Amino acid sequence: MPAEPDVTRELAEILSRYSGASSDLIPILQEAQGKFGYLPEEVMQRVAKFLRLTDNMVYGVSTFYAQFSFVPTGRNKITVCRGTACHVRGGARILREIERRLGIKPGESTEDMEYSLETVACIGACALAPTMRVGNETYGQMTTKKVAEVFGAKEKAS
Amino acid sequence: MPKKKPASQADNKRTILVCHGTGCVSGKAFEIREALEKEVAGLGLDGVGVDFTGCHGFCQQGPIAVVEPEGIFYTHVTVEDVPEIAQSHLRDGKPVARLFYHDPVSGEAIPKYKDIPFYNKQQRIILRNCGRINPERIEDYIKAGGYESLRKVLGEMTPEQVIDEVKRSGLRGRGGAGFSTGQKWEFCFRAPGDQKYMICNADEGDPGAFMDRSTMEGDPHTVIEGMTIAAYAIGASEGYIYIRAEYPLAVKRVILALKQAEGKGFLGENILGSGFNFRIHVKEGAGAFVCGEETALMASIEGKRGMPRPRPPFPAQAGLWGKPSNINNVKSLATVPVIIANGAEWYSQIGTEKSKGTAVFALTGKIANSGLVEVPMGYPLQEIIYGIGGGIPGGKKFKAVQTGGPSGGCLPASLINQPVDYETLAQAGSIMGSGGMVVMDEDTCMVDVARYFLSFTQDESCGKCVPCRLGTKQMLDILNDITHGRGKLEDIDLLLKLSEQIKAGSLCGLGQTAPNPVITTIRYFRDEYEEHIKKHHCRAAVCEGLVSAPCSHTCPANIDVPRYIRFIGEGKPAEAVAVIREKIPFPSVCGLVCFHPCESKCRRGQLEEAIAIRMLKGYAARHDTGLWKENLKKAPPATGKRVAIVGAGPAGLTAGYYLARLGHSVIVFEALPEPGGMMRVGIPDYRLPKDILRAEIKEIEDAGVEIRTNTRVDSLDELFKEGYNAVFLATGAHQGMKIGVKGESGSGVMDCAEFLREVSLGRKVEVGDKVAVIGGGNAAIDAARTALRLGAKEVTIVYRRTQAEMPANPEEVEEAIAEGASIDYLVAPSRIKGRNGMVDLETIRMELGEMDSSGRRRPEPIEGSQFTTGYNTIIAAIGQRPEVPERFNISLGRGNIIEVDPDTLATSREGVYAGGDAASGPASVIEAIAAGRQAAISIDKYLGGKGEIDETLALPEGELAPLEEAEEQWRPKMPTVPVEKRLSNFGQVELGYDDKAAIEEAKRCLRCDLEERE
Repeated sequence: MPAEPDVTRELAEILSRYSGASSDLIPILQEAQGKFGYLPEEVMQRVAKFLRLTDNMVYGVSTFYAQFSFVPTGRNKITVCRGTACHVRGGARILREIERRLGIKPGESTEDMEYSLETVACIGACALAPTMRVGNETYGQMTTKKVAEVFGAKEKAS
Repeated sequence: MPKKKPASQADNKRTILVCHGTGCVSGKAFEIREALEKEVAGLGLDGVGVDFTGCHGFCQQGPIAVVEPEGIFYTHVTVEDVPEIAQSHLRDGKPVARLFYHDPVSGEAIPKYKDIPFYNKQQRIILRNCGRINPERIEDYIKAGGYESLRKVLGEMTPEQVIDEVKRSGLRGRGGAGFSTGQKWEFCFRAPGDQKYMICNADEGDPGAFMDRSTMEGDPHTVIEGMTIAAYAIGASEGYIYIRAEYPLAVKRVILALKQAEGKGFLGENILGSGFNFRIHVKEGAGAFVCGEETALMASIEGKRGMPRPRPPFPAQAGLWGKPSNINNVKSLATVPVIIANGAEWYSQIGTEKSKGTAVFALTGKIANSGLVEVPMGYPLQEIIYGIGGGIPGGKKFKAVQTGGPSGGCLPASLINQPVDYETLAQAGSIMGSGGMVVMDEDTCMVDVARYFLSFTQDESCGKCVPCRLGTKQMLDILNDITHGRGKLEDIDLLLKLSEQIKAGSLCGLGQTAPNPVITTIRYFRDEYEEHIKKHHCRAAVCEGLVSAPCSHTCPANIDVPRYIRFIGEGKPAEAVAVIREKIPFPSVCGLVCFHPCESKCRRGQLEEAIAIRMLKGYAARHDTGLWKENLKKAPPATGKRVAIVGAGPAGLTAGYYLARLGHSVIVFEALPEPGGMMRVGIPDYRLPKDILRAEIKEIEDAGVEIRTNTRVDSLDELFKEGYNAVFLATGAHQGMKIGVKGESGSGVMDCAEFLREVSLGRKVEVGDKVAVIGGGNAAIDAARTALRLGAKEVTIVYRRTQAEMPANPEEVEEAIAEGASIDYLVAPSRIKGRNGMVDLETIRMELGEMDSSGRRRPEPIEGSQFTTGYNTIIAAIGQRPEVPERFNISLGRGNIIEVDPDTLATSREGVYAGGDAASGPASVIEAIAAGRQAAISIDKYLGGKGEIDETLALPEGELAPLEEAEEQWRPKMPTVPVEKRLSNFGQVELGYDDKAAIEEAKRCLRCDLEERE
């Protein structure tokens, strides 16, 4: 489990670019999510104070949106698409193969925090169904065999 | 190294444009472009440019690269291809043929963009620049006429004139609701307020839709220009583009485009000196589908939970921060510059009366050409799927097309003859939505599709409205029950009732439309729901709650396929036969002639090819030692009941076998001199040798079944009078159907069933040298191959549709061709006339027209294309009908089949059951066997028994050898008698696998039945 990030300094950098309008809540949370990989409680409290909102309101907004995570996520985020085209072309099998290989379910991260797994309703690369993303890379026309190739290669590289 | 500013296409002799849409980028498009730049520089090629474009919308063919000015379209480009492209094409002018696009149906190579049907049948207005310009270079957009419309609007038109133009064009919102765009602008224009907002909805959340993504990645400026024109029309000085965060490349391109537009004075203060100010901000969605709904979207921009609110007030009066706001979809805005440039009249001439312009569809799923298709409204749906989409790959049958995303519905084959516009889709129970179009085939389960969509909308429901929040959950629970075998028949009506309540009680479009997939699938595919509930059967073999292994699930007799294949793999074929005989009494017959529906669902088929399940069955049967008999239970004491079975075909004999094993006295009456039905007189010896069939029939007789041949049954009353307690009618379908043309009753024309019967019974049949067989089913192929063996020199099969639609087994068709038969496709008979001992067959050429309800395109004759060929014999193999004596006094259905209860096989007469071809119309051996099993169950129950016909014949499996990792491996070739040796006799052609081949093939099985399940 990685140490709690140095919230104060990093968050201050983010907040310095905002005026304090409450409509900036989501972009601020998005930047924090990008920087820390999740939203630590302390971050949400500080953001609330900065925007003059209650903790409750910040919590209410952040839990509404699927983009935000409240537990640390792995270094490589795996996003498996469960969109219609991907579903019809066997996306569920790909998800199951990844679950089997890494031993985690959507919403969880591997012990070594190398990978976390989530699903998304649609990546938007439907002509390449079934698709998945690992970090910033999109993989199309996935097969269970390709799952082995992708994660085997990553294991070799690390 | 500093990046050199790429010269424009006009300056270059050749430019290669690498697609940099998300799809192609995932295929390493960035690396391809870099490699090309390096290679071109390294080769010192002057006047050759390397550039990139946005998404072509044909991602399945990616990575894509286009070479201008020739317009050569390269597909599936890899980094390794770069040196060859650079040297052969860019330097030497010779395009690289192996990278051309290949039509997925014909296989034809099509080098140029403009010749590819997927593109040239489209009318790309919204997507006009996608794939043609560099989206990160505003100069490209300007050169393509960009920002001219903005100039015109700001320089020459008042807001009222702009609104009028858009209204008159007939443009309707492309986000899905289809409201008049011009009208919406007018509402906002008229609303009083000091601050107004213009919002672009780029939250494309519909799974299966990616046209907004492509537009923003490929031509962001058209959206910006359209948005600015809209802002001017309504009087907004601030704008927001709300893009979902899942589109990082689109976000990047839009932000860059905004900066460039500001730089050129198209945005910001005093745009183009007009005094009009407009600034656009980008807001990213945070992963909530409901934020595609306009009031939820605005709440999200305001930094709140994205929950919809009631309207009125409408956004036009009170929207973002309570100010008048106008929200439009990406595609609507992308159309605006074109309408201003070409005029409302021009635009309103495209499309239909109520739906003007073009629509962009994301055609995905089970389709050969998957991608973005832009066509005029009113374009026939069938043409989109077949003409542009290239139809269903893998020889699979079209089943349904889902339109409109999770808010839409599934349309069956019978409805795809329609033009696509807002109204026709709504009438069918679906919606246009954002344009998602997911094609589904026979391997898609419609109940699973409904469940899938509900799980999506349930997850995305914001929770505000109880009917949506709880209603969708209840519907999902019911659908989960149905797909896991816990459903009840009442559930179907309950789903419909819940649907009504959820629609009526939900505040926003999500809840109001969430039930649509359920409503349409029940409307058009109710029988699938009923099968799941009543029979725990999923015909697509998808629902994991019901399907252990797709092969055994799909087998009409539910033979435990993986188990017998494992025994074969362990070198125990006798055990394998025991497993097979647990379900059917005809392992050899099926091992030779079954049409193997199991193989069509075999999961290995998704890798290389399906396991040779039928051939392995045949192998096991050939190595039977009789082991199965050791585990046979002793037959119980005689029940004293007597059952009469009419017809000694697969249905009759199977029913007889199981009834005798239950202790009943069984007599089978057979009109012909030999038992076996179609197995004996329909299927020729070279496929199913007589002695093999005889041996299996003997086992049935040994079980206590008496067969009386040469005995025709005319009256059921007589049977009951003679003391039989129940009757099973399994008389098959042996009466050949008429072709329906003049002259067919003359000499020289034979009925196929009669022809095959005469030959099998050993009677002499002369066919002459030239034979025509009319039809495309297995019977036609059997007739053709038989005619060749009777000495015919020229055998032609005449079929009215195409090869892809022929019902005959492809393996059989292949063998017929190898043996010398030829097949004329798209040809139908029109007249027959005798002439000097020969018979003239006049035929007419056909072309495929509209789709009929069976999911096949109806052949239409081509006027004046008749041609005549002379033959010695014409064999009519159109189909067969059952012959049922009137004295039976039972209800008959269409095609003269005996009407039966689909579950019990009971006829309209008490104590009388029917099954096999007589009740279904011509089908197959295995389906007849399955009917025989069901008849035995029903009759036993009728006679006071429990209807338990199954028994375990094989020993339990021991410890299994671990499954080897699936290396790419294909089936061993089936040894057959060489063609030269075949035609002089009727000897068996398929020789069967040897031990080595069989064990090797068995080991390819993925053991789906052992998969872990929740």
